[in-house]
Amino acid sequence: MKLSSMNYLFKQGIRNIWTNRIMSVASFCILMVSLLLIGFTTLFIANINSIVGGIENKNEVIIFLNDDIDEESIEQMGVKLENSENISSVTFYSKEEAFEEMKAGMSNAEDLFQYIGEDSPLPDSYRVKVKDIEKMSATLMEINKMDGIYTVKAPNDFVNILKELKSFISIISVTILAALIIVSLVIISNAERASVEMRKREIEIMKYVGATNSFVKIPFFVEGMFIGVLAGAVAAAITIFGYSELGKVLMQDTTLWAAFGVSGLININSVMWKIIVGYIAAGALISAVGTVMSTRKYVKV
Amino acid sequence: MVELRNVSVTYSNGVDALNDVSIKIKDGEFVFVVGKSGAGKSTFIRLLLKEIDPTKGRIQVNGFNLSKMKKTRAYKLRRTIGCVFQDFKLIENMDVYDNVAFVLRCIDAPKKYIRNRVPYVIDLVGLKDKAHCKPSELSGGEKQRAAIARALVNDPQLIIADEPTGNLDPALTHDIVELLQAINGCGTTVIMVTHEHEIVQEFGGRTVTIQDGRVVFDDII
Repeated sequence: MKLSSMNYLFKQGIRNIWTNRIMSVASFCILMVSLLLIGFTTLFIANINSIVGGIENKNEVIIFLNDDIDEESIEQMGVKLENSENISSVTFYSKEEAFEEMKAGMSNAEDLFQYIGEDSPLPDSYRVKVKDIEKMSATLMEINKMDGIYTVKAPNDFVNILKELKSFISIISVTILAALIIVSLVIISNAERASVEMRKREIEIMKYVGATNSFVKIPFFVEGMFIGVLAGAVAAAITIFGYSELGKVLMQDTTLWAAFGVSGLININSVMWKIIVGYIAAGALISAVGTVMSTRKYVKV
Repeated sequence: MVELRNVSVTYSNGVDALNDVSIKIKDGEFVFVVGKSGAGKSTFIRLLLKEIDPTKGRIQVNGFNLSKMKKTRAYKLRRTIGCVFQDFKLIENMDVYDNVAFVLRCIDAPKKYIRNRVPYVIDLVGLKDKAHCKPSELSGGEKQRAAIARALVNDPQLIIADEPTGNLDPALTHDIVELLQAINGCGTTVIMVTHEHEIVQEFGGRTVTIQDGRVVFDDII
């Protein structure tokens, strides 16, 4: 195909948007709303995952050491723990530090502490955080094999609940997203089919005068892509603005977020380009491919 | 040249639209194809445009063997045929110039050729002053002239006119048939399908009558 023909077909595609403006606006709105629904749901799920991740990071395994363990063995154990693949942080708590912490936490039990005296009755301990709670059991087995351990206290109930929560969230997110994508595609393809249906006569005439299938389809492709890019760009702008405003409202009380172990909603700046590129690419692809697919039936003249 | 050899068409619903039809139309002929509604005239046109394939038989149009041609290559055949329809089939949002030029754009014709050829053909059918009118601004006769200009613009070997006067009054009918005869006078083969026997009686010439899917008459009137 000649460059001048491509130029003509491109212009035709753009002109068709205006000529069929009612259907163009309908396709644009449907596509934009679908993208917004999918985008906001994705952001919501990403934030839930971030919160679960924050909660996950709050896990702590306490390793109480034997009373008779020497300093060299304590150090060696610290090195081993730090080298462990699934451990993200290792902190040593001496028996004295643990006792001070206990006293600070039980300020109304002075009598009890007078009775105990100055010597700490608690053992030395390591407090470690695991990276992936799914691998908690394997990590605990690895820790238990080390020498000099009195006992290990792991938040097993917390881990089990978190594991179930994570799997529940991932099933629900995939289901909701899949349902939304399918519903959106059905609605979008119906809107595009209606738009093409109105122009089936035009396609029929093109075919009768000897137009190739690509000659018929290119303007539809251009038109679909243009509407898709526009819908994607507007949806991205609405998402970024709406999400930022929502963030401002929800960030007024930071204590709640701290309780979850996160500083707040996922920062919009860190995902802004992903949103813009994702929306525009998805909009253009769905719309252009959908429109061209809708013409298939009519080019068979 | 158009040649149908023992062509039969049976639709998927079991209707026999054409039954063992054999016709040969030489280059430069003007042929009326007449018959009542449902006789098989539309099926005959659809076959020539490779819109459908025959159930049986062989078809040759303008040097193309339609039996061996893939549907995706039908555009090559259609570029050698000009079509005129009863309902004009003009693109409503394009003016007369663009409707006519569109055919040449489809075949990648050079811009300069389009600029020269389109006004010439529009002038030929007597629509010089209406070149920039939309179809909705034209009368029935003018619409059909625009459709004839479109059919003519790429200098086809064959013009198929499917009930071109079906929506026109008698005076305009006369004009359109005369125009088609003038085009035929320049060497283009014309097949005019009609159910109006009066036109055939008035103009005369080779007439093929189709009845119940069979050719029952093929002679000069």
